[in-house]
Formats: sequence, structure tokens, C-alpha cells
Amino acid sequence: MLIIISIYIMLSRNLFSAVMSTTIFSLICALVFLLLDGVDVSLTEAAVGAGISTILFLSCLRHMDFITKKNTKPIFLHLTLFLFLVITLSYIISDLPEFGKAQANNSYVTNYYLKNTDREIGIPNVVTSVLASYRGFDTLGEVVVIFIAGISVIGILREEYKE
Amino acid sequence: MKDFIILRIVTKLTIPLILLFGLYVQFHGDYSAGGGFQAGVILASGFILYSVIFGINVAKEVLSQRISKILMGIGVLLFVGVGILGILLGDNFLEYNSLASNTKYGQIIGIFLIEVGVGLTVGNVMILVFYAFNSEKVK
Repeated sequence: MLIIISIYIMLSRNLFSAVMSTTIFSLICALVFLLLDGVDVSLTEAAVGAGISTILFLSCLRHMDFITKKNTKPIFLHLTLFLFLVITLSYIISDLPEFGKAQANNSYVTNYYLKNTDREIGIPNVVTSVLASYRGFDTLGEVVVIFIAGISVIGILREEYKE
Repeated sequence: MKDFIILRIVTKLTIPLILLFGLYVQFHGDYSAGGGFQAGVILASGFILYSVIFGINVAKEVLSQRISKILMGIGVLLFVGVGILGILLGDNFLEYNSLASNTKYGQIIGIFLIEVGVGLTVGNVMILVFYAFNSEKVK
């Protein structure tokens, strides 16, 4: 289902329906995450993927045409790069740990977090404690990245809007 | 879109609920799913819904670009400030153990503060990007 939707998004010439398809894609992803018990990720996917990014895409579409032109340039180079990427990624998939396997190579970190969160941090949601306390530096980087991205967007579009 | 009475009434009914849910996700993130990032996005989406329905100029009277930019900076500063406060109290950067007398209380206060910082930054960046795309062109 997800694969069908993503192929449709790539091939669609109507940008409006492509944007709507990405929204549906995100909602299905959120459902999948929910079924895998990743409630935090699911909430993020539903809010960011389905909510905010759809609105931002639509406000971009306000400034341009809905229908894209058919590409007439030769696509040989793109096709080669694409196939190369697909083959490389498929090769790497075989190195990933088996899905749902408890003893992955780095699972001792998970066990440490699950065991010690209650004693060291004292809050019930392990995801929050990992994000905010154990991995606080990563979250700081994340926030700074969002901050810089926001500043750059404002800087690029500054001349276009009235104060 | 102000002329569509159904949209207007439904928006007026749902916006308080969206904002309340955003605040719940923000401040209850320690106990249930969620945290600053999700809360910021949900609050911003409630705000964007308001400006889609009632016009962007009305929304700018509620939260102007200037205030939004300042709040965006305050979010990052709050995060870094909590980290540096940890250093001043004799811990490593971004360790909250010494923020209160008990290490657990210290952790809870630290996590609460940085989640507020994350929420402020993320929400205001989303609102500002939306404003930047949708404001009237000069020419």
C-alpha cells in the first residue's frame, strides 16, 4: 500500500493530488508506528507529516502552477543513478538486524535505559527521558537545526513580504 | 474564507480543543506520549488553522512576526541556559542532577524546562515559515 502510494506520488503530474497523497502516506505511516507501539513517533508523524507539511506544501503551491510539464530531457543518467541507489540500499538491508529480534548488536543500551530510567530520572515515559536527559545533547542539536532552518527560510523570503 | 459560516463556527469550536491538546502533550509528556516537539507542532497547527480561516492579518494581530521571532530565540536560549546552569552548579553540560536538592527533582525540572524550550522554538518556527510563505508580496 505504501509502495503503491509512493509510486503514484512520483508519477503524478498534478501537484495537488501528489501533496494529498503524501498526507495519506503519512497517516498510514502513523498507523503503522502506532501498531508497533511507537506512540511518540506516531504522534510526531501525524502532526508533522500529515498536518504541518501538507499546509506548507499547499502554501508553496499557491505561488506556482498545479500541473507540471512533461519532462522532455533524456532521463538515462537519472535512471542509472536511481538503479545504483536501489541496488546499494537493497544490499545494505541484508546487514540490518532481523526485524523484532531482541538481541541486536547494541541492545545493551536499550536495556540500560529501561532498567535505570525509573531510578535515575524518575519519570515513567522512557522515550522522554532518553530524548531529554540521556541524549540531551542530540536534542539540543535538533532544536538548533530547526532554528537555523527557520531563520534561513525567513531570510530567503524576507524581501517578498511586507513588514 | 470568513464568509463560510460552517467553517467559521467549527473552527471556533475546535481551536480551543487543539490548543488544550497541545498544552496537554507539552506538560504531560513526562507521563504519556509526547513532548516539546509534538506540542509545538500541534500548537502551531491550531494557530495556522486560525489564520487560514480568519485571514493572516488578523492572526498577525494575535501573534506578530516580531514576537514570534523573539519567542523562537528564547526557546533555544532556554535550552542552552539550562545546560549552562548545570555547568555553573558543578555538573556536566546538560546534566540536571544538581538543579534541585534531590537528583530526581533536578531531572524533572531540567526535562520540563528544556521541553518548554523545544516547544517554543518548534512552534514559532512553524508559524514563521507559514507567515513567510503566505504574506502579501510587495509588488
